Amino acid sequence: MGSVGMSTAPTSSAADKGTITRRTAMLGAGGLGVFGVLGARLYQLQVIEAENYQMLSDNNRFNYNMLLPERGEIRDRHGRPLARNRQNFRLVMIPERTPDMNKTLDRVGRILPLSDRQRKRILQDVKQNPKFVPILIDDNLDWATFSALNMRLHALPGVVSEAGQGRAYPENGVFSHILGYVGRAGDRDIARDDDPLLRQPTFRIGKTGVEASQESTLRGESGRLKVEVNARGRIVREWPDPETRAVPGRDVWLTLDAELQEFAAKQFATEDEGDDSGGIVVIDVLTGELRTLLSMPSFDANLFVSGLTQRDMDALNSDPKRPQYNKAIAGGYPPASTFKMAVMLAALESKLIAPDDEIFCLGKLRLGNRTFHCWKRQGHGKMNMRDALKHSCDTYFYDISQKVGIDKIADVARRLGLGETYPIGVGGGISGIVPDAQWKQARLGTGWRMGDTLNASIGQGFVLATPLQLGVMAARLANMREAVTPRLVIGEEIEPFAPLDFDPKHLAYVRDAMWAVTSEERGTAYRPYPFGRDDGLKSVQMAGKTGTGQVRGISASERATGVRKNEKLPWKLRDHSIFVGFAPYDKPRFAVGTIVEHGGSGSKRAADITRAVLGEALRRDGLGQAQLGTPLETGALR
Amino acid sequence: MLSVKTMRPGLVRNLISKLYEINWLLPALVMVVGTVGVMMILAATEGVWAHGAFQHGTRIILAGGLMLAIALTDIRVWYQLAYPAYALALILLMGVEVAGVTINGSQRWLDLGVTRLQPSEIMKPAIVLALARYYHDLSDWRVSHITGLVGGLILLAMPMALILRQPDLGTTLLLGATGVAIVFLAGINWRVIGFASLFAAVAIPLFFRFGLKEYQQSRILTFLDPSRDPAGASYHITQSKIALGSGGVTGKGYMKGTQRQGEYVPENRTDFIFTVIGEEFGLVGGLTTMGLYMAVIAVCIWLSLQCKEMFSKLLILGLTTTFTLYIFINLGMVMGLAPVVGVPLPLISYGGTVIMAVMAGFGLILSAHLHRGVELPRSGT
Repeated sequence: MGSVGMSTAPTSSAADKGTITRRTAMLGAGGLGVFGVLGARLYQLQVIEAENYQMLSDNNRFNYNMLLPERGEIRDRHGRPLARNRQNFRLVMIPERTPDMNKTLDRVGRILPLSDRQRKRILQDVKQNPKFVPILIDDNLDWATFSALNMRLHALPGVVSEAGQGRAYPENGVFSHILGYVGRAGDRDIARDDDPLLRQPTFRIGKTGVEASQESTLRGESGRLKVEVNARGRIVREWPDPETRAVPGRDVWLTLDAELQEFAAKQFATEDEGDDSGGIVVIDVLTGELRTLLSMPSFDANLFVSGLTQRDMDALNSDPKRPQYNKAIAGGYPPASTFKMAVMLAALESKLIAPDDEIFCLGKLRLGNRTFHCWKRQGHGKMNMRDALKHSCDTYFYDISQKVGIDKIADVARRLGLGETYPIGVGGGISGIVPDAQWKQARLGTGWRMGDTLNASIGQGFVLATPLQLGVMAARLANMREAVTPRLVIGEEIEPFAPLDFDPKHLAYVRDAMWAVTSEERGTAYRPYPFGRDDGLKSVQMAGKTGTGQVRGISASERATGVRKNEKLPWKLRDHSIFVGFAPYDKPRFAVGTIVEHGGSGSKRAADITRAVLGEALRRDGLGQAQLGTPLETGALR
Repeated sequence: MLSVKTMRPGLVRNLISKLYEINWLLPALVMVVGTVGVMMILAATEGVWAHGAFQHGTRIILAGGLMLAIALTDIRVWYQLAYPAYALALILLMGVEVAGVTINGSQRWLDLGVTRLQPSEIMKPAIVLALARYYHDLSDWRVSHITGLVGGLILLAMPMALILRQPDLGTTLLLGATGVAIVFLAGINWRVIGFASLFAAVAIPLFFRFGLKEYQQSRILTFLDPSRDPAGASYHITQSKIALGSGGVTGKGYMKGTQRQGEYVPENRTDFIFTVIGEEFGLVGGLTTMGLYMAVIAVCIWLSLQCKEMFSKLLILGLTTTFTLYIFINLGMVMGLAPVVGVPLPLISYGGTVIMAVMAGFGLILSAHLHRGVELPRSGT
């Protein structure tokens, strides 16, 4: 039988049947073998290597999505929010759910107008991303538009409305210079900081100002969200875990008084020329806390958050008053006569000049072949030190500065706080210039000349200071004991103030002269009631000093024909109006440094603003009432 | 020609008595496997009946009716229709060549307006019918003679060539293997088998180089070396293995497969449905499924042994071979033992024509067994 299959000879039907049965058995056995192999393979996959495949399956399955922390808020000293997070209403489109992209965008456009550029950007985003990734149509929508769109979402397949987080600066721009703004991290930010949050496209970091300097406090920590994803990366399910939630950033409280800042900003308004340009600083003379740090005019920082249009940018850049520029800390101006306190104190400290030594002012002083003019052409006559400050006699200071010398003057000026940058956490502050021989040699390569000393003695020439530095100087003169240093962020560790280290008698003398400026008849900033007569501040006295910073040279011929009145000059050529002061005189609380660009005489614009702001600061502090009795309002209530 | 006495007493009585005589074990097993298919398609489509499970169930029932109709039809009818059926299938295949619908780059379907037909599926039972008849008719001594070889080869080569052109490598190989199995069972002698093997050893590499489309070559190469293309063709195999492996012994539970939910395994409703079984029911589910198939195959072989006629035996065994090869190729592919070719898991994978073809095959098997007492003529010499 076995040879039958091998044979080519005709075989019987029976043998044939034997063959097919045998061969069926062979094939059946082969089939059984294959099933065995398959079963063994299944055993290998599902038992021996199961653990490995389980892991691969989990790798497939889970992703970790970053959770963005909520950014801390920035508040003023009373807790009023200056920078906060608000709902950012935005509209996105998920392309795979939108059958007709153009028709849908047309319909959206009826409620929310879309420019051709926006449409192009949207369609390009659609092309470049997987079909399930939501594409931003527009954000920062106002509530009316957002709700109108929400009503019509049913007719807009694939369009989804979302409320995300955005940064908002509610206080109308007067804090813009301080707060700075936030934006998407750039390549440089990412290179400096390896926090993976920075790579998130919707995450914002502080770019300038307090937003940038307090970034580590405000930012918070990212969280992780375990998500189950499918083969195309779409999230199938979320697996929230409380341990990996994002940690929100902490709030930053500033020493500023928002309402005082706004009050100060209002004082810069003019009737016909918009806001005056300049800066004002109000410092607590005991703690160095800045109650106001204002640069005018201001701008709306919200514009930077939502993306500045070219028109806004051009308007900001072409404004001669340079709104973007933080004049309070980055504007260097000749301090003019406010510098005279430094000269005076240097003279007293050096003991080269006795306060009662008198000098006769003829309206000018000759040095070699140069003539140095006093602001009062006909001269002040006989002046001692106190009168010289009260009347701001330039000739007196020309005279004594020659005897004291620039080095001593510069030293005192620096100890009073000029020529220094203060790390208040805003950024962009400049040191200004307190010139001496060494500085001139290094900077200009020429030797110091006596004429430079004379110019410096009235705060002109090379001397430059910012409103902040002038405010610090006033605060140190008011404090008398400590070198008050300004601070802006509450809770930051600060070193104790260094001793001021001037003879208290000398300081008292300077302060008395400053009091005379504001409080004695014929003082350059005299007002009988500097803070008005209507409330508890009636009897509060202040001390101060005016400064009129010369912007242009006055030619000899002009002097001969009569110097033109400042108001008749073009704005750009008018003098800077400067004032420093503090109050109350007998128990100082606040010091102020004010500069109004091209504001004319220091006895006018800057002095007015200072008086108003200083008075308001005292009023708001409650000090006036506490010390001086019940204010009128409460009296009326009784 | 059909002069059988049992048909005389009346058609209805005859049919009822025939129904009694049907081997009901086979239809029962087939229905169980079909039900597994409904369940797994339902899981693969997130429990949405309308996405295939309902259609599959309906098709199983309709095809069951077809199966019974074929089973009750006298085997002599099928014997007579063997060549015409083959000719029709061949014409349809040529029709695909001319006017076929192209899906996924393959021209496999004929659009009949009402439904789409895949003629290659019809060819599967048809080629078995034709070859069974051919070798039934042939004198025993001629089986290994040149006539037996050439005739069989021509019958086999024509549809294979047409299907390969679609291109459908899986079905081509399946057809070829089925044909070889029938020739082998018909009693071809071992010397010829030896020569044929030698020939194949030379022809297959040549065929690979010149007879295959690039993607088909790539599939085979990827199978031989999966690291060639981790994200492309071998992605399929890798994800399929992850699905099976992560199922473990008892699986993740019905409707709980994460690979499936994540849509990591493409085509898991059709060709890769075994990954859903393996992931959700584990080794237990996989082996149970294989056990069911083995039972079906064993019953078929057992039925063939009871037949006397060569035609019936070859018909049953040929169809069983096709069915078995479907399973082997599909499972081998899913488990990473065979290249990815588009072969479904019969009765479980979603797909209409395949079910009809497979069930029609079982109908023929049942018919051959039911009419095992009927003598068939030998028209050949």
